[in-house]
Amino acid sequence: MNVDPIDQAVISQGLIASAREMGVKLIRSAYSTILREASDGSAALLDRKGNVVAQAELIPMQLGPLGATFKPCAEIVPPDDLEEGDFYINNSPFEGGQHLPDVFIFSPIFYEGTLVGFSASVAHHLDLGGGAPGMNPDATDVHQEGIIIPPSRYNMQRDWNGGSFERLITANIRVPELTIGDFNAQFAANAIGGERVKQLCARYGVETILSVMESHLAYSERRMRAAISEIPDGVYEGEDAVDDDGIHTEPLLIKATVTVAGDDISVDFTGSASQVLLNLNCPFASTVSAALAAVKAVASSPDIPFNQGLAAPITVTAPYGSLLNPKPPVPVRARMIPAFRAFDAVVKALAKAVPDKVIATGFDTTHSICMSQLVDGNYSIYLEIYGGGYGAGPGSDGTDGVDGPLSNCSNIPVESLDQQYNFFRVTEYALRPDSGGRGKFRGGNGLLRKFEILSDDVTMAHYSDRYRVAPEGAFGGEPGDHARTRVVRMNGNEEAVASKTSIKLNRGDVVISETGGGGGYGDPSERSTDRLHDDLESGLVTPPAAQAAE
Amino acid sequence: MRVGIEVGGTFTDLVAIDQGKVTVAKVPSTPARPDEGALSSLDAAQIQLDQIEDLVHGSTVATNAILERKGAKVAFFVTSGFRDLLLLQRHDRKRIYDLFYQKPQPVVARSDTFEINERITADGSVVTSLDMNSAQHVVEAALAGGNYGAVAICFLNSYANPAHEEQLANLIRERFPDVFVTHSAEVTREFREYERATTTTLSAYVQPVIDSYISRLQDELDARGYRRNFSIMQSNGGRLPTEGIRRNAITSLYSGPAAGVMGAVRQAGISGFTDIITLDMGGTSTDVCLIRDGRPDLSTETEINGLPVRTPVIDIATIGAGGGSIIWVDDGGMLRVGPESTGADPGPACYGRGGILPAVTDAHLVRGTLKSEAFVGGRMSLDHAKSEAALSSLAERFDMNLEQMADAALRVADANIVRAIQLVSTERGRDPRDYVLVPFGGAGPLHAVRVAEELEIGTVVVPPNAGVLSAFGLLAADFLRYDSFTHHLIVEGTVSDDVREIFGTMRERAAQAFAQLGLTEDLDYTHTLEMRFVGQAFEIPVTLDDAALRELNTDILLERFVEAHHQIFAFGDAGRQRVEIVSFRLGVSAPPGPIPTLSEVHGMEAFETDGEIFDRGDKTQCLVMSRSACERGRKLTGPALIADETSTIYVPQGWHCSHDEHDNLIIRKDA
Repeated sequence: MNVDPIDQAVISQGLIASAREMGVKLIRSAYSTILREASDGSAALLDRKGNVVAQAELIPMQLGPLGATFKPCAEIVPPDDLEEGDFYINNSPFEGGQHLPDVFIFSPIFYEGTLVGFSASVAHHLDLGGGAPGMNPDATDVHQEGIIIPPSRYNMQRDWNGGSFERLITANIRVPELTIGDFNAQFAANAIGGERVKQLCARYGVETILSVMESHLAYSERRMRAAISEIPDGVYEGEDAVDDDGIHTEPLLIKATVTVAGDDISVDFTGSASQVLLNLNCPFASTVSAALAAVKAVASSPDIPFNQGLAAPITVTAPYGSLLNPKPPVPVRARMIPAFRAFDAVVKALAKAVPDKVIATGFDTTHSICMSQLVDGNYSIYLEIYGGGYGAGPGSDGTDGVDGPLSNCSNIPVESLDQQYNFFRVTEYALRPDSGGRGKFRGGNGLLRKFEILSDDVTMAHYSDRYRVAPEGAFGGEPGDHARTRVVRMNGNEEAVASKTSIKLNRGDVVISETGGGGGYGDPSERSTDRLHDDLESGLVTPPAAQAAE
Repeated sequence: MRVGIEVGGTFTDLVAIDQGKVTVAKVPSTPARPDEGALSSLDAAQIQLDQIEDLVHGSTVATNAILERKGAKVAFFVTSGFRDLLLLQRHDRKRIYDLFYQKPQPVVARSDTFEINERITADGSVVTSLDMNSAQHVVEAALAGGNYGAVAICFLNSYANPAHEEQLANLIRERFPDVFVTHSAEVTREFREYERATTTTLSAYVQPVIDSYISRLQDELDARGYRRNFSIMQSNGGRLPTEGIRRNAITSLYSGPAAGVMGAVRQAGISGFTDIITLDMGGTSTDVCLIRDGRPDLSTETEINGLPVRTPVIDIATIGAGGGSIIWVDDGGMLRVGPESTGADPGPACYGRGGILPAVTDAHLVRGTLKSEAFVGGRMSLDHAKSEAALSSLAERFDMNLEQMADAALRVADANIVRAIQLVSTERGRDPRDYVLVPFGGAGPLHAVRVAEELEIGTVVVPPNAGVLSAFGLLAADFLRYDSFTHHLIVEGTVSDDVREIFGTMRERAAQAFAQLGLTEDLDYTHTLEMRFVGQAFEIPVTLDDAALRELNTDILLERFVEAHHQIFAFGDAGRQRVEIVSFRLGVSAPPGPIPTLSEVHGMEAFETDGEIFDRGDKTQCLVMSRSACERGRKLTGPALIADETSTIYVPQGWHCSHDEHDNLIIRKDA
């Protein structure tokens, strides 16, 4: 069925609005601070085949490969066999999922008995069991990282709300009152999305909605192809590296070869490091997501709606057994770190083709801090991720203290932490002057958070990166500063904390964690006097650092 | 006589009502000195100040001070360790794929932020007490230069215990009596430090601007011998005597749109419509608001310039859709309307001021739903040929004739408005079909019926003199203030006794505050509990009237909350999850006295003729007339175009209309 272009304009916006509403309601009805304050979740509408049609713009990483997460579910139970109240669920890293905490739920939408599509949501759950609360950086296989929910079909009425699946999950997790609440927020978001699509069906007819979905994919594909064809044809290479594998000190190389041919792009990660023993392995769905996000961010205007159509011109490959396409059962919890390097390598490759459309490399790291305590049989788990400085661009400084481009988590307000947790207190939260790389345009500054520990027997798990390998500047810009973390013990002793580790903390200890800045863009000597003046006035660049630049 | 004066960006509107007689005036605004526009509107209406007993004023002074960054230089005091609160913000990005993303810019510079050693916890207990000596050093060093116009203070957890903020505020007020001091607990008592700090700094930023503006106006009124009531409109839909506004300037933000909503509420209410959705469509944007039982919803989650504002304002959704919105096609071939606008200058192509881009107004002209001779009472002529020229390349691209193209663009514009209404209705769990649509603003009545059709709304009510509805809303607004109090209570046992007690105390305090402003009669109270399931972070308002508060018990409270939660989120079960009250909001209001209706004032010559329009693929004959020619009791059937001084009302085929005894034009879908 051919849709009238005006119907298309009207109805596709309706689908996007529905997905956006799902996202808002997912966050607003959630329970854990990681979902309700940090907004580590996403939502989308899919067509009957599992193609993402419209999404709430929350976390790029989670949204990119929704279709790949859906597909294994549909292979287990074909969509045509689904009934009202059924849902697909999947968090399995080697079957289309990413890392275990991100649980994907797909709810079929039926209109008068016809399957119209799926509403989907994903949330990062605070704790899904495994070898340690919140995260287990010592895990040597995926089984130690938490409960695996393979691609499956369950039914709300039968299996949830006190049903056997809900009981199984509840029994395997440490903070069920929050986590089950977050699952319910996902189901609610899906229900809202379903309701909105049904209203559109009632208004315009099922056939029209199905056609609009189809041509909306074609629309994004058309716009993406137009954007890609503006990039000069050629083969471009870019590299970056993960600091280390958490055991040794050698960096892990990530290499991207980007081939632009007409309106197609292929990204190949051959030459990247092999998979590793600890949790820095990046499941292939995550690798695809990172590459898509990089190409979309560089090549196209932010206005192009992200959906499966946009992914059509982009092919991503990575050797099986490499860090970016690992074999089971390796652990994958910190997959964002290699994913970010894959993003950085693709942007660096594209910088050679379209220097005006890129930014210098940013801190681009999920700097993750998890603190937990068991008191009287109850766990209290705090998890938050910190970004740093963005890379500078050809016309603007990098943004200070913001989450990295693949993610988009908010910070958790200190006042919310004060309400929720009594075993630590945040005593400083600040930007780090001079941490952004100098350049004609300055890299964004990293940030600092200081925690005072208020009781004994606290576990802190941490993973981060860029403790050794700094983000590079572009076109003469200088690199951003590294990240670092240290503990000042109650007795005054100071200990450096590694970028991938877990430690014990006691009352009186103070943890000071600093994230890195972004790289600068262009020669620092070309920085305008107005900007130099503003740097000094704000104090974000200190006088000695400013002099060094001259 | 009661007079409302609304200073807008382009025009200053005045409505005066004297024993049922309505006078309106419209004069150009003087953006640099808005008070001059206000006074000249009085002159234009030939009103003597000694005739007035009640003067209400609304302006965009606060909004413009922020948008144009012309507020005071603010010194900001924060808890030690949190100097970068305003720059760190929430660490997220509004556009996730934008590599060049920049955060919204705070109104206080980093170099004007000072740390004070103190710390209070979430339960209000003191961890680090405020050392007045060292605080005094910091204050002296910061303020001694005398180059700050205002001071803002926001300490962590002050929503739970404002003692430290108050101590520091008192210290500064004693030492520097000429500086305006605002501390966060005075402005809002909600948790989340970034949002509260920004609201506080915004308030401090506009405070001196508002104060000097009000003083100047007051002086000029004094000089002219005016001694009676003078009040200012707030964004919560109520007004306050000037003394009340000076303490809390941020509440005057967005007072213009709020006044429009209150005018619509009052005018539609007179005809018995109390569940309404307002549609205020002007040149560049459209504001929509949902009103239940005569009361607009409040929101504490607005923003300005990307900066959050957490004081209660009328819950208005705004989109970039207006008469000047540009019609364009994106690089994927999709037809789009807005959010970019041609603005007032050059404006739509048909204005003939050099604009070549097609705008919504051009589409109306080409389609025939605007008639050049009837536009703004015939005071401005429109160039049909220029509209056609502007639309021609789009028409070619979509292989349509010009009229089809114009029609298509207006459908897309209508769809944008429909989505804005869904934001305040379906998304909040309200069914738009239970409401009537009340359009105003220059372009609202042109689009309203098609928008209503799309939402299956059966009735549209167009108020008279819609062009000065905001100024009327000033007169119609109650005196109103809100107080909030954050206090966590689990809903169990005898919690309803606590609720009654807390509201009782709040009522006493609110009555005292009103008494200081000279307001003691006919006080009315609203009680709102912000509630959530334990563990959630966003609350849902549950409003209780006097009777409900008296009869309140745990079961009723749970039932009311779960119902409200279901309405928005479609799930939730109090049997499985505990429920808590997070904060209390008390509204106290006093009526301004009886308000007569805004009956039609006709400045336009009556006419009635035939015209042609193109709509939904068909060209049809259409009645074209002035509103003044449509006497009460006369029933018209669509298609019809009814022009008044400020706008054109479009009644499509399948709808009919007539004026009621209050001069509201009631448009209904044919049975």
